[in-house]
Amino acid sequence: MDQRLNYLIAGMFVLLTFITIIFVTTLLPAWTFKPEASAEAVVYTALETEGRNIYRREGCFYCHSQFVRYQDPEMGEMVKAGDYVHETPHVLGTERTGPDLSNVGGKYPSAWHWAHHIKPRAVKPGSIMPSYSYLTEHEMTALVAYLQTLGKNRKLPQWIVPPQEYRDRFAVISEKVNVKASAIANAGRGIYMQNCAQCHGVAGRGNGPVSMSMMKKPANFTRPYYAKYRDDMWFWRVAEGVPGSRMPRWDRSLSDEDMLYLVAYLRTLPRTDNPKVNDIEVSEMSQLDDPNVLDHNFWQIESLNPTNHGGGDMESRYAYGGGRGD
Amino acid sequence: MSVLTRAFSEVFSDQPYSASRNFLISGIFWLVLGTTLGLLAASLMTWPDMIRGIPQLSFGRVRPAHINMVTIGWLSMGYIGCFYYILPVLVGRKGVWNERLANITMVIWNLLVFFGVWSLLNGYTEAREYAELEAPFDIVALAGLILVGINGYMTVLSGPEKKWYVSVWYILGAMFWFPVVYIIGQRVFFAMEGLNDAIANWFYGHNILGMWFTVGGIGILYYLMPRFTGNPLYSHTLSMLGFWTIAMFYAPTGTHHILQSPVPEWLKAIAVISSVFLLVPVLTVLTNFFMTMKGKWSLAADHIPLRFALAAGVAYLLTCIQGPFQATRFINWYLHFSNWVVGHAHMALLATFSFIVFSATYYIIPKVTGRKIYSKRLAVWHFWLSLYGWIIMMLALTIAGLIQAAGWHFAIPYDQWVIEMHPYMIVRTLSGVMIVLGQILFMFNIYHTVFSKEFEPAPHSPTGIAFV
Repeated sequence: MDQRLNYLIAGMFVLLTFITIIFVTTLLPAWTFKPEASAEAVVYTALETEGRNIYRREGCFYCHSQFVRYQDPEMGEMVKAGDYVHETPHVLGTERTGPDLSNVGGKYPSAWHWAHHIKPRAVKPGSIMPSYSYLTEHEMTALVAYLQTLGKNRKLPQWIVPPQEYRDRFAVISEKVNVKASAIANAGRGIYMQNCAQCHGVAGRGNGPVSMSMMKKPANFTRPYYAKYRDDMWFWRVAEGVPGSRMPRWDRSLSDEDMLYLVAYLRTLPRTDNPKVNDIEVSEMSQLDDPNVLDHNFWQIESLNPTNHGGGDMESRYAYGGGRGD
Repeated sequence: MSVLTRAFSEVFSDQPYSASRNFLISGIFWLVLGTTLGLLAASLMTWPDMIRGIPQLSFGRVRPAHINMVTIGWLSMGYIGCFYYILPVLVGRKGVWNERLANITMVIWNLLVFFGVWSLLNGYTEAREYAELEAPFDIVALAGLILVGINGYMTVLSGPEKKWYVSVWYILGAMFWFPVVYIIGQRVFFAMEGLNDAIANWFYGHNILGMWFTVGGIGILYYLMPRFTGNPLYSHTLSMLGFWTIAMFYAPTGTHHILQSPVPEWLKAIAVISSVFLLVPVLTVLTNFFMTMKGKWSLAADHIPLRFALAAGVAYLLTCIQGPFQATRFINWYLHFSNWVVGHAHMALLATFSFIVFSATYYIIPKVTGRKIYSKRLAVWHFWLSLYGWIIMMLALTIAGLIQAAGWHFAIPYDQWVIEMHPYMIVRTLSGVMIVLGQILFMFNIYHTVFSKEFEPAPHSPTGIAFV
């Protein structure tokens, strides 16, 4: 056979194979895969679209994904195809150097986002997020407006509850120790001062001397958020510690009864409603001396609107993960 | 003749092989800039407060600039430079079909890289990973690719040799496939909605590697190995089998990048299956590669281009074992979203494809300029700095990726495992310093060879051993 005809046939075959494969893998989905918009899909306003474009322009999606998988239950509800109908172009992301942002809307007050974008390590020690202090005030408003919409149509899961094991233990021991009694709380204060105050501080503000050396700062018990803590929740946290942090498992060294004394004391700590400290979770206020921050009326915190769920703790939103995974 | 007119006539020259030389030396320039941008991005991940308040130098903009400069700038230009030498030689021509057109393409491509990366740094981006360039640049790139393709095809058709060696197949295949992938993947003339946008995005993200860098790189490697060793290619049947199976199995793999997202399951299944089947073309290539080395392993002691090619072959083996491994659902479940994948990308683009072009450059530059490479010692330093830089980077990123994956899976707070990753990020930055240093030596070596007034003429050396 003629050599050229051979090449021609071979060439046609390559073309055909390749076109078929391209058709199957990109054009066929575009043709057949048209999910209906789900209840969770968000339609963006003009300002939010602008914020989304800033999110894309600054390359936020290189480090933040926007899809919750089956294996990350603590990040919220698993996403569905219909959630992405209005997400064009996509910002799924393929690498998570930072947290998944599918449900970040309402998790923090807007002022927190402002502070976090201008001086990330002031509000989140250890974070490696770049500072976006160069964004203009309008750009920042748009970006934060966009972030606050993410996941806003997803239902809020119920409050986290301690595992059954701890609830049972709590039920048994609380028959012997009445956590509501002030004498018990007084006894708990001694245990607190001996074991907890070096990190959590004498007044429970999370500013004990040891906290200076910690990247992840101890919890500030004076936040109004802790007013909502159940007694068995305190018990669980004390007993098991907080995975991934320096908070130890106290049931290794304290008896259940001692831990209940401690719970009795912790639940009496005053919850100050001072937005300067509580809503922003600023561990080191002194770091916020940046004139940029002051320019943006950082100290004038907006009142919490209904879409902002509480003081901004994982546990207020996600039912499964025990406040971890952030 | 003034310097300017001389430069002008060099740039728009119609001398045989001038386009090959010009493509290679401009590629090397973008290589140094591109790796420097990568080093900057690595440093920003390590010390995030190093640079503040300069939008052009924030991580989210440096990263796409790095990726586009090394893919569109360095590797693509290096590849085209190699093609423009290999194709005419294999079909028995002197120079490509139209050398002046090739040089004009080279100028267009350089402008594209410069303005494209400039626009990315200034925030003009389509924000699709690997396909960030804005529409005007896409059209210029497409025009450039079509010019490259026309020149390549016309070279082959106008050459006296009608029995084409396998490299010709691979190179012509790459020149045809990449523009097609580019049109669909970059969505030059049309838009897609929602998740379909992501599917097309990763079709491009994977196939710029699969249908361009892999196919072209193997073409170059199949040319170089018989030349370096003096052995004939081990098996033409295997090489052709590899060619067809690459075309079959590479194109649908893109969806394995979004394996746990809610895209159609059948698409994911096709992606995973064809990812695993990629082992077929890979094993044909590597069998051919290592069997062609038969009896000639001792050459590597003294033959610098061969050394680069061998390192590339081993890295290709590792890449293509790791790739199908992490593309399976089981493994991807754990490793997705971590720096492990970044390590994998560097293994493919740096240790495999860049090393192939390094090898080809040390061989082709003496052929096209008639000058012996300026310094063997610099080339050896380039080899070891690049190789060890890559190995250290690979290990650091892999370990960091495992820490990160564990962090996400065991729901450890993000700001805790980021601290654990920090030492590995420092090591990664140091390995980046080694790599950049190696590339600066490479640029100096090649530029000194090409531009210096004093030079040694390239000796007669069929295997190229005496060139370096």
